Amino acid sequence: MNYHAYHSLDVVNGEGTRCTLFVSGCEHKCKGCYNASTWSLMNGHPFTRALEDQIIRDLSDTRIKRQGLSLSGGDPLHPANLTAVLQLVQRVRAECPGKDIWCWTGYKLASLTEQQQHVVQYIDVLIDGKFIEAQKQPNLAWRGSSNQQIHYLSQTERALA
Amino acid sequence: MQSVIKRDGQKVEFNLHRIETAVSRAMDSVANADAALLTHLCTEIEIKLSKKPALDIQEIQRTVEETLIEHQLTDVARAYISYRKSRDIERERRSSLNEEIKSLLMQSNDDLLNENANKDANVIPTQRDLLAGIVARHYAKAHILSEQIVTAHESGAIHYHDLDYAPFFPMFNCMLVDLKGMLCNGFKMGNAEIASPKSIMTATNVTAQIIAQVASHIYGGTTIDRIDEVLEPYVTLSYEKHLAMAGQWNIPDQEGYAHAQIERECYDAFQALEYEVNTLHTSNGQTPFVTFGFGLGKSWQAKLIQQSILNVRIDGLGKNKKTAVFPKLVFAIKKGINQQPEDPNYDIKQLALECASQRMYPDILNYDQVVEKTGSFKTPMGCRSFLGKYEHEGTELHAGRNNLGVVSLNLPRIALQANGNVELFFEQLQQQLLICKEALMSRIERLQKVKAKIAPILYMEGACGVRLKAEDNISELFKNGRASISLGYIGIHETINALFGDDAHLFDDPQRQQVAVEIVKTLKAAVDLWTQQTGYGFSLYSTPSENLCTRFCKIDQKEFGSIKGVTDKGYYTNSFHLDVEKKVNPYDKIDFEQPYPAIASGGFICYGEYPNMRHNLKALEDIWDYSYNRVPYYGTNTPIDECYSCGYQGEFDCTSKGFSCPSCGNKENDKMSVTRRVCGYLGSPNARPFNAGKQEEVIRRVKHLENS
Repeated sequence: MNYHAYHSLDVVNGEGTRCTLFVSGCEHKCKGCYNASTWSLMNGHPFTRALEDQIIRDLSDTRIKRQGLSLSGGDPLHPANLTAVLQLVQRVRAECPGKDIWCWTGYKLASLTEQQQHVVQYIDVLIDGKFIEAQKQPNLAWRGSSNQQIHYLSQTERALA
Repeated sequence: MQSVIKRDGQKVEFNLHRIETAVSRAMDSVANADAALLTHLCTEIEIKLSKKPALDIQEIQRTVEETLIEHQLTDVARAYISYRKSRDIERERRSSLNEEIKSLLMQSNDDLLNENANKDANVIPTQRDLLAGIVARHYAKAHILSEQIVTAHESGAIHYHDLDYAPFFPMFNCMLVDLKGMLCNGFKMGNAEIASPKSIMTATNVTAQIIAQVASHIYGGTTIDRIDEVLEPYVTLSYEKHLAMAGQWNIPDQEGYAHAQIERECYDAFQALEYEVNTLHTSNGQTPFVTFGFGLGKSWQAKLIQQSILNVRIDGLGKNKKTAVFPKLVFAIKKGINQQPEDPNYDIKQLALECASQRMYPDILNYDQVVEKTGSFKTPMGCRSFLGKYEHEGTELHAGRNNLGVVSLNLPRIALQANGNVELFFEQLQQQLLICKEALMSRIERLQKVKAKIAPILYMEGACGVRLKAEDNISELFKNGRASISLGYIGIHETINALFGDDAHLFDDPQRQQVAVEIVKTLKAAVDLWTQQTGYGFSLYSTPSENLCTRFCKIDQKEFGSIKGVTDKGYYTNSFHLDVEKKVNPYDKIDFEQPYPAIASGGFICYGEYPNMRHNLKALEDIWDYSYNRVPYYGTNTPIDECYSCGYQGEFDCTSKGFSCPSCGNKENDKMSVTRRVCGYLGSPNARPFNAGKQEEVIRRVKHLENS
């Protein structure tokens, strides 16, 4: 998997203070996308074990507390990204107790493939749906257009929502 | 009879008597008075001049000098030349006064007109104030301050702040108004005797009146410390009234009725107060710099006031719900009251976070840090001036105390003069500090022998916490640390670059940081020494430099040229603050600035630049919590601009020409709300432009968390 950018400290992609990974590769190609350079699977840099370790380290930082990890892109649920993303979210679950995982995808929750569902079982909050420029609303929380939906999937997140 | 062409081109008749007077004065001054010689000299000069076809002033002066030297009267000639020179200077001053007045009339001097983002220089009352300021500044420089101070000020070595008010007028800078004492005991204002209020609505109304009066008698900020606790008794009075009313009308749920009524009244009272403060125009020609400190009150009444202040601010001003930039709100956070989820007023902290995310204020005061760094808890006066601890009859006293004024030191200039030699820098710094002390003493001096009647609201009716008689002397009030008087400083970032070059950044270099801290500690040692020597409360103040950021830099650029990392940006960085262009996360910025408030305990503020946080109060709380154990006073700058054309909320594009909406391109000033931090205060730079240096600084500000 290639990734486009990694922000070890982020407050604009999901609730609380977070680490955010923008992966490469997206087949939706929505008109008006703010991250079009991430569409190609070949763009960006290789996602290495070293970066994975750094994400785990950042999430465990005690000086600057992170609420969790955000996965965006590109599309983290692009078929070509699923193996790497699965490994990452499994590690976060195992090694960073108490941290939540948010994920943005252009696919709809109701029509995910089996492999995608396998990844999503580790996700706490999923924001799904393509970006539709005609339904763009600048002041929405965590979404670009009003068709997109926030799904609080895990017990804890549902309690908070 | 010949005519003479004067400097301004006017023709006047030749007058020998004028020459006689000048030469006679010159002779007197060297103890060489000789009437016969004088007559002889004058006759000779007259004959010489009569042979010349056209006379101008220079020609006359040359002839007088020549004649004196021919007679071997070297001393007299020297005295004559020096007399003439002092007249030239005097004339020059008078003509620059004319120039300034003219530029005000023609509205042609942007620096003068945009000097203070809080003054609308388009309107008559402000223009009158600016005119008074021009005259007061000139008079003080010519007749009150020593030549050494004036030269240091003019050359840009120091800045004698607020010369347009003091020392011409015996005014002081900023204060904590003793609102409690005034409201409890009543006072007289203008023609009215005002008794203690009987409701919260009246109490806030009277508070607005007091603020207007006080702000007209001082030139700096007017702060009400712990306003929630000061005004809580009046909430009780109103509540009791509503309860009595419920009884009178046999309302079934009397307490429920009274609570509903008091909630509405308290909100209305604080809304009225906010409108009053924003519509006030003091006799200083400006909206007063007003600050409200609140948050520590624990009673339901105090809590209701806290909620009212925040809800009013969240709701906005007028039909466009514009962000109010006054009063500045400063919210105190304390463990056990509102800091932790289990604290009784934790819900108020959440409301404060919501307010900050939408309206930028409140800034926060971290209780324990304020006490640790400044000796006691209190809200800053104005935007960032902190008083030290002071006890009166065994108890801490804050209300009614004040700051006597500031003189700031141009640190980058000393560094430029030292040319990279650190030892020489510290040597010259000591020299400059002597001038600063003299300048600050001139402020104290001006307030000696001043009588209470000069500002009844301050000294006779209780704002300063005392009720002196008209003829009483006010100077005792300022002694023994009851008042502070501050040495300011600017441009630590540029100073370090001037000393070491800009190949490394202060943020990345612990050795440079050590020197930076040492510089500020040197200043602190100086003010501590002066306190010891004089008994006055000298403090070290991190100058906000709204206007000064440009002034010092401009002067130094002229003298030293454009030096990379020092004079090339057109502004100097605010006190100890991190360079606004350095991209670091806000946590690291706090760590970087953490050492300074303890040293510059007379004035400081730390802030960070954030993206839109409306949807992420948790992240905003994370940073507030991080600051809690590190810095006393923190503000979060977030983009809260609004476009009335397209509804966009966020950050407008900032250029040297003004502001525009990134969504629809709207550039019309009356169709937008743009809010930026000027210093400790916020401003609306679309309505009242910043000066050029400030605008440049705003353009260069980088977000400390902008990832996408």
